[in-house]
Amino acid sequence: MNKAPGILPRLVTILKIALAVLFLIPLVFTILVSFRPEAEPVTKGSIFFGSEITLVNYQRALVIAPWSLHYLNSFLFVAGTLVVQLATVTCAAYAFARLRFFGRNLLLMIILLQLMIPSGVLLVQNFRMINILGLFDTRIALMIPYWGSAFGVLLLRQAFREIPIELDEAARIDGANLLQVIRHVYVSNAIPAYLAFSLVSVSSHWNEFLWPFIITRSEEIRPLTVGLNKLIKTTDQGAFYGQLMAGTLIVVTPLVILFVLFQRQFVESFARSGIR
Amino acid sequence: MNTSRRPLRSIVIPYLLIAPTLILVLMFNVVPAIRTVNDSLYKPARGLNSAGKPPQFVGMQNFHDIFDDSHYMGTRFLRTFRNTIIFALATVGIGVPLGLLLAILLNREQPLLGLWRFAVFYPSLLPLIGAASIWSFIFSDSIGLANAILKSVGHPGLNWLGDRNLVLASVIIVNIWKQAGYFMIFFLAGLQNIPRDLYEAAALDGADSLQQFAYLTLPLLRRTLLFVIVISFIFAFQTVEQLQALGEGGPADSANLLLYLIFQNISERRNWGYVNAMTIILIGVVLAFTVSNFLLFERDENDS
Repeated sequence: MNKAPGILPRLVTILKIALAVLFLIPLVFTILVSFRPEAEPVTKGSIFFGSEITLVNYQRALVIAPWSLHYLNSFLFVAGTLVVQLATVTCAAYAFARLRFFGRNLLLMIILLQLMIPSGVLLVQNFRMINILGLFDTRIALMIPYWGSAFGVLLLRQAFREIPIELDEAARIDGANLLQVIRHVYVSNAIPAYLAFSLVSVSSHWNEFLWPFIITRSEEIRPLTVGLNKLIKTTDQGAFYGQLMAGTLIVVTPLVILFVLFQRQFVESFARSGIR
Repeated sequence: MNTSRRPLRSIVIPYLLIAPTLILVLMFNVVPAIRTVNDSLYKPARGLNSAGKPPQFVGMQNFHDIFDDSHYMGTRFLRTFRNTIIFALATVGIGVPLGLLLAILLNREQPLLGLWRFAVFYPSLLPLIGAASIWSFIFSDSIGLANAILKSVGHPGLNWLGDRNLVLASVIIVNIWKQAGYFMIFFLAGLQNIPRDLYEAAALDGADSLQQFAYLTLPLLRRTLLFVIVISFIFAFQTVEQLQALGEGGPADSANLLLYLIFQNISERRNWGYVNAMTIILIGVVLAFTVSNFLLFERDENDS
């Protein structure tokens, strides 16, 4: 860089600003359009604020879908998925990390099949499976395909293996039973891995649309993304983009705030999530 | 193994611990996959009055039909399959280099680093359908931003989500915008692993920035680069939710993608034979990429 002082760093800065602006434009205009009078072209009035600033879009978007209910549903979906995942993943990861048993490698391979054949591509058969189980249009149906997680098992098995086995043995000598050992030796020493797994799980399920859309019918249990879909379909007929952008912001804001709070952990978790 | 001397409890416990995960994976991944293979060989009973009739075994006929351009489902499948490959290649071909560029720009310590990274990373936090909804406004015919910009330079504007030659490109733009920041994360992790003194040594030897990039960064990022390329292909074949807000596959499937075509036919019971055959193709592609991923990167995982 010292070869051409001034020029290259300046070019880099310009490129950086240009890219950031390009990436931010959609978000900025989503926010602006949500406060702009309905169906007003961006060329009318000020390009940024339109002819006036209004909250009408939010008022309209709020009555189209029962958002607080959708929020609750998304929360229950994400939390219900995560809580069960944490339990199943912890048990399996401990067994694969520290116990010897017949068929261990084969059984691990079977579980890893989930990474190769993700349930997301098996829409039709899983739709049938849910119907066979009689779970169609229930909250359980949303969560159950995700309750077992090969990604989580891999991630935690790795974390558990790095915990010195002496800690395990010491706890047992002190009279701890299996569950106490798992809790106090393994879980409490693998918190970063749990956090990584949780952030990946929460963000992917909070954002999920296709499966909840297929497997539920009642508005009472449908998550935010499905509510947003309804708003999109309403907008299709009348180009109510102001109200659609207001609704979109209602849906996407929580995760963005969560990211701002946990930025470093998010980045690390996502870096480990390539094998979801 | 001396199993006979071990107490029964310690033999059973490992299986109890893995049972929940194992059963769930069998129920929602393995069994459905086997069923997909089986059902792809049958033609389901058609129509309402044939309800209760057993499906008819047709061998490879479903596969033959979906690869037959004159068959009603073949036309759709072939076009959609072609789109999916273009979509994947374009996302990877543009999105991955862009992710690498972003990582290089935002790797070193600099003022407001968190803010810069947020600016390019936030799209990957949005639900696909939310991202698509944002872009449905940008691409909107009459009041959209894209056309407002085109009109300001004297262009009459484009029908982004209605012109069959353009819809797929619009969908690709959205996907690149959504994924580039996510790819950047992997490159940032890769760049952190390159020792800083290598660059200092190269600079002492007189290598300029471009040479450092070509002879140092790129070779040392080879593994990361391969990994990102493979996962971005895997994602490209599975991410379709944006179509719900961006033209729903476009006029005459001009921007349809494979998983979305499957989704569109989920309530058409008479097409389930085709849907299963298409799922097999989709699984085949995803499997090929995942397995190559494992062969390339997970070999050292399999110790003990």
